[in-house]
Amino acid sequence: MTAEFVAAAVVLAASTVALPAKAETVLRVAMTAGDIPDWTGQPDQGFEGYRFVGWSLYDALINWDLSRSDVEAGLTPGLAVKWGIDPANNKRWVFELRKDVKFHDDCKLDADLVVWNIQRLIDDKTPGFNPVQYSRHRSRSINVERAEKIDDGKVAIYTKTPDSFLPYNVSVWYMISKCAMEKANFDNALYAKAPAGTGPYKFDKVVPRERLELTKNADYWNPKRVPKHDRLVLIPMPEATTRAAALLAGQVDFIEAPSPDTIPRLKSSGMRVITLPYPHNWHYQLNFVEPPFNDVRVRRAANHALNRAEMVEMLGGIAQEGYATYPPNAKLYGNPVKYEYDPAKATALLKEAGCHPCAITFAISTSGSGQMQPLPMNELVKAQLEAVGFKVKLDVMDWNTLLDVSFKGREKYPQYNGINISRATQDPPNGLLRFVMKQQWSPNGGNWGWYENQEIEDIVAEAMRTFDDEIRDILMTKVHEIASREAIMLFVTHDLNPRALSPRVHGFVQAQSWFQDLTPITIVEGGK
Amino acid sequence: MTDATLRVEFAAQPAAIRVRGYWGTVGRRLRYDYVTLFFLAVILMIVFAAIAAPLIAPFDPNKTSMAFRLKPIGFRDFRLGTDELGRDMLSRLIWGGRMSLLMGLVPVVVATAIGGTLGVIAGFVGGKLNMLIMRTMDIFYAFPSVLLAIAISGMMGGGMYNGLIALSMVFIPPLCRIAETATTQVRHLDFVEAARASGASSGSIILHHVVGNVLAPVLIYASSLISVSVLLSAGLSFLGLGVEPPTPDWGLMLSTLRQAIYVQPLVCALPGAAIFITSLSFNLVSDGLRHAMDVRI
Repeated sequence: MTAEFVAAAVVLAASTVALPAKAETVLRVAMTAGDIPDWTGQPDQGFEGYRFVGWSLYDALINWDLSRSDVEAGLTPGLAVKWGIDPANNKRWVFELRKDVKFHDDCKLDADLVVWNIQRLIDDKTPGFNPVQYSRHRSRSINVERAEKIDDGKVAIYTKTPDSFLPYNVSVWYMISKCAMEKANFDNALYAKAPAGTGPYKFDKVVPRERLELTKNADYWNPKRVPKHDRLVLIPMPEATTRAAALLAGQVDFIEAPSPDTIPRLKSSGMRVITLPYPHNWHYQLNFVEPPFNDVRVRRAANHALNRAEMVEMLGGIAQEGYATYPPNAKLYGNPVKYEYDPAKATALLKEAGCHPCAITFAISTSGSGQMQPLPMNELVKAQLEAVGFKVKLDVMDWNTLLDVSFKGREKYPQYNGINISRATQDPPNGLLRFVMKQQWSPNGGNWGWYENQEIEDIVAEAMRTFDDEIRDILMTKVHEIASREAIMLFVTHDLNPRALSPRVHGFVQAQSWFQDLTPITIVEGGK
Repeated sequence: MTDATLRVEFAAQPAAIRVRGYWGTVGRRLRYDYVTLFFLAVILMIVFAAIAAPLIAPFDPNKTSMAFRLKPIGFRDFRLGTDELGRDMLSRLIWGGRMSLLMGLVPVVVATAIGGTLGVIAGFVGGKLNMLIMRTMDIFYAFPSVLLAIAISGMMGGGMYNGLIALSMVFIPPLCRIAETATTQVRHLDFVEAARASGASSGSIILHHVVGNVLAPVLIYASSLISVSVLLSAGLSFLGLGVEPPTPDWGLMLSTLRQAIYVQPLVCALPGAAIFITSLSFNLVSDGLRHAMDVRI
């Protein structure tokens, strides 16, 4: 007995020596979001919610290829391996589903589940219809009529009008587990306790307003994107200095949008700061119904009033001067009007429009997803506009309040002549169409200030009927040029997307996209 | 005893038997309270600087210059450096004093007038009216002052006027409570009863007999709230719920400058130092006043 005990102890000791306990590798990310984004399907907190929560827990039928930093990110097969327009019906898209994909709760991906996922965001009679997510997703779903099962492996999505842009809208339409929703009796609050997607991370736990913890999905259907770390912790941290301090103190490993003035300090402490042009636009959407921005001369005057070089200097060079909706490296950029800094011309235009001094009010936020450094940037814009004859009032509010102003539109908030919400521009619906189409007038879509232009409507209608990508790109470039000529926004800058990484973080590839892939990241203790 | 001797003895009576009035005693105590006098002088300097801001500020507080952003203290003519938009810090601090004093004083004055009046009425009338007023005040008491100020400002939106209203609402309940307690203590005293017996109206009794006795504790408490108001308004501005940018305001300056804390830490600390000194000065002067006006000493 004693001998057996000794032998067992020796074996146990030997095994302990031979197999030391492997520490869990954890990636802790400080987001700019003011709260944990909704993790039950379509996220909130701006597009940052999609970046960190959406793409971690879920997949769409079509995903984004975020594996390279040398080209603009494009679409790639997700839960659908193939898709295309029905040659016999230009309002019917057919998606061929990936086989043998399972959700985190072992629910199987099939056509019925995909149809339910489409319907639950467009049809209030579908079980699990979520009015909040419906509203959040409306600018993407507005032209979708219905979905139907063709067979177990195929689904058709019908659009109200021919819509060649549908794949872009489908790319942010996340598939959630119907089994998990059924288990929760289609109660979203119950589902939130055990959500299930097909994404590279699984839900583990949430501490409200503090952190969302996800764990690696070792069985992810795409072996290239199985996370190289065990746990992902997402922490909302809206204040830039706090994020920098948290990184310096070792509380987080990866921060979004450090303020330009903290970058030298971060670098001197051994942090890696990455910047890369990406489809982003920091601008003001304008109110086209109420004066003075219903007059194109006033819009042009505002654009000529801005000294963008000075703005970039203030931002420590981590931005590009913005003269149009798309940044210059975008394929749809074309040849837009360049509103050079010309204060004399701006003043003359204001006088010509009979608006001098020209009183305007902008709704702005103190922080937010992609908002860069909103307070000093808005202060500089105000100073530059006032130098030419505008009289600017800045109405400062919390990020989520500003999002509410954005969703509800100018009709609900006529006191504002513009809103300052930066936008991702990685695809035409998000980057351009939602700002110019009448169909997108708020509160139905993203055309906050009700811009309307028949020339654009005609070109967009033609583009939506055009399923040849090259021809459609030419049409969209034309729309971009007209939008610039019409000064549909007060264009300011395009962000260079700075983020700072601890020396522990290796393997991150910054994609030219609003979205990013965290799965290749490895955590090396004491790493340099 | 001759007349001359009498005159000498009369003249030799000690001066100490002269009775000093209440305000004379307060003045004498303050005269020898050097700490209070020093901080009173600091407040007067801040007030003077705020009033004379257009004359003494060396630069336009809103004039931006990217070439001169975040310069250190003592850089060329920028004696206290420049901020993140290249604006002169000294000028912004001087102009910012206006906003801080305004946000410090106005809510307290408004709250003293409203809260004091409600408290005196509640204390004097008593009964159901007292219950109605004081229980309403208790509802506001249920929330911490910072939270209440943020909630009211958040609900009404940012801006100076909304900030003033929010802070006034925060200070009304405590001032009402002080006034009500003091009024309850005096309303049954003999001189009030005597006035009532002589046929004086309630209004007249309140005005001539109650207010005079209630004023001292209310004013002492109100003076201590000025520093709180300065701090709260700075906090609201820091959170973006205060004045509209780019109005020079110490709280707002602190909020935007914290981004540059690793570049110019001393410059970033200046608005905080201004808030601290102003708040400390009001606090210590309030303490000195309380001591000087205390009838029990």
